[in-house]
Amino acid sequence: MTNKKIERSLEELYRDDPERADSMVLGRKSGMNRRGFLEGTGLAALGGLVGGIIPFSQNIPEGFIPAALAQDKSAAPAPTTPAPAPAAAPPAKKGPQFLDFPGKDKGLIVIGDRPLVAETPENLLNDDTTPINKFFIRNNGQIPDAAKEPDKWKITIDGEVNKKVEITLGELKTKFRAQTQRMVLECGGNGRSFYTPPASGNQWTNGGAGCAEWTGVRLGDVLKTAGLKPSAIYTAHYGSDLHLSGDASRPTLSRGVRLAKAMDPNSLIVWAMNGQPLPAIHGGPVRLVYPGWAGSASHKWLTRIWIRDKEHDGPGMTGTSYRLTIKPMVPGDKADPKNFKILESMPVRSVITNPANGTKLAAGTREVNLRGASWAGDLTVRRVDVSSDFGQSWQPAGLAPPKNKYDWQRWTASVKLPTDGYYEIWCRATDSAGKMQPHVAPYWNPSGYGGNPFHRIAVLVG
Amino acid sequence: MKRQEGRAASAACLIFAICLAGLLAASVVGFAPAQSQAPDFTPRDEAPEEFPDHPGRHDTFYTCTACHAFGLVAQQGMSRARWDGTLDFMTERHGMPKLEGKEREAVLDYLERAFPERSPTGRGWQNPFLKQ
Repeated sequence: MTNKKIERSLEELYRDDPERADSMVLGRKSGMNRRGFLEGTGLAALGGLVGGIIPFSQNIPEGFIPAALAQDKSAAPAPTTPAPAPAAAPPAKKGPQFLDFPGKDKGLIVIGDRPLVAETPENLLNDDTTPINKFFIRNNGQIPDAAKEPDKWKITIDGEVNKKVEITLGELKTKFRAQTQRMVLECGGNGRSFYTPPASGNQWTNGGAGCAEWTGVRLGDVLKTAGLKPSAIYTAHYGSDLHLSGDASRPTLSRGVRLAKAMDPNSLIVWAMNGQPLPAIHGGPVRLVYPGWAGSASHKWLTRIWIRDKEHDGPGMTGTSYRLTIKPMVPGDKADPKNFKILESMPVRSVITNPANGTKLAAGTREVNLRGASWAGDLTVRRVDVSSDFGQSWQPAGLAPPKNKYDWQRWTASVKLPTDGYYEIWCRATDSAGKMQPHVAPYWNPSGYGGNPFHRIAVLVG
Repeated sequence: MKRQEGRAASAACLIFAICLAGLLAASVVGFAPAQSQAPDFTPRDEAPEEFPDHPGRHDTFYTCTACHAFGLVAQQGMSRARWDGTLDFMTERHGMPKLEGKEREAVLDYLERAFPERSPTGRGWQNPFLKQ
């Protein structure tokens, strides 16, 4: 049996007959003891699969597949120059589908074609400010064409207001004070793929997030011009993107927020991203940005804000969509719709942005420098810890303060690698309220919100 | 084969009907007519044959792809009960024509068999409370 053969069929092998797979691949026999038992031959085989010896192998739990095998190969850096394709190469069936979209980095991973959804591998989040070409893409419906006359784009504010307001983007730019802030925008479903059993929806890893410089005006300033009635308690957002069915009477998505979040000085109507006009793919010419909250509230191609006298009930607000459980439920069980509350602030998360998962280091390397990012929804990050021994010991990272509220916090650390071989580096952040990222995705819910386990990368020395 | 062609035709009619409804609605409220994806991105072509070959594949593929890529379906792994709930969700939230009777069973048979609830290894942590 060659290693090549094992690699190709490992997943199938485990899926079809896990006990036999463990026995064949690792020489591990089930039930020998509660940690599982790696015989000498099994450990060598596992080392062979990942291409080196495994320091700290005594810490490896039963049923554990190393990060280098378990994680999508997509996490490894994409080649910067495309390899010459052999003539008549068959289309690759396995492995990630890389994004091919004008103005976008070819290292982004397509999660879905229709609607178009693409995430940023963690190692492409290594810039202090996420460049537009590396920023993740999330659509719920069809992608509108770019506006021909952006400054004539009209936004309506109606509902529980003293006077209905219709304002153009051109007027927004001239009548209100603009501000620029670097803030995290994160998909509500970020981390969904870490749930067991699988939660339904786009299978994000950690790449449904980015941190850009947003330029716009305070939403609160604009709402005040309409005059909020005492009955105004919730917003409802609408955009110009068509539902996938083409049915123009059916909003693709319509979410909203409590009035307090809408009036927060960091909640903006934006028209520029990193100093450039907001690209159409990111909701241009104009969108909302509610930093720290599920991204679906930050409506793209914004056309209307309806102020309501009750919690909004548009598509995306009800059932289990963008909601967390009130009372924890049994994973995979039937959900009781009454047991759900709206997901607002996103949970604490950290990622290692350098080196990339799957990096090979020269033989004899005894230390590796790490760079990363961390953020915590409405809160800040208090500390970040890293481990290179499967979580047996942890050390604190150096953590930078945010540039402004809702900016992410960059961190650096250096970990020792006592010998050549296979290592995993894990990171975990703790938020300002003391909550720490868990080992596994917590509080299972059918649509998989709140999945923020440790980020893991694998590196190979020698 | 006859039955499959019939289904393809009915699926095509359904898509046409949805588009027509979209156009009519659009003309009333003054939106641009229903458009395809922006010209700078073309979704990858998909065919039923790319997906696990079990009975019901053809019907399931064309039921779902009236709106979205089948790749979105194939990345899920759910119990029959959760797939059943997903069909309800697609009808209630996204306007999918309600599937009933034998049609619904055929689609559920396929989804349950092709995309079952699974973990990458099929082992690891097993929940003692979950009744399948």
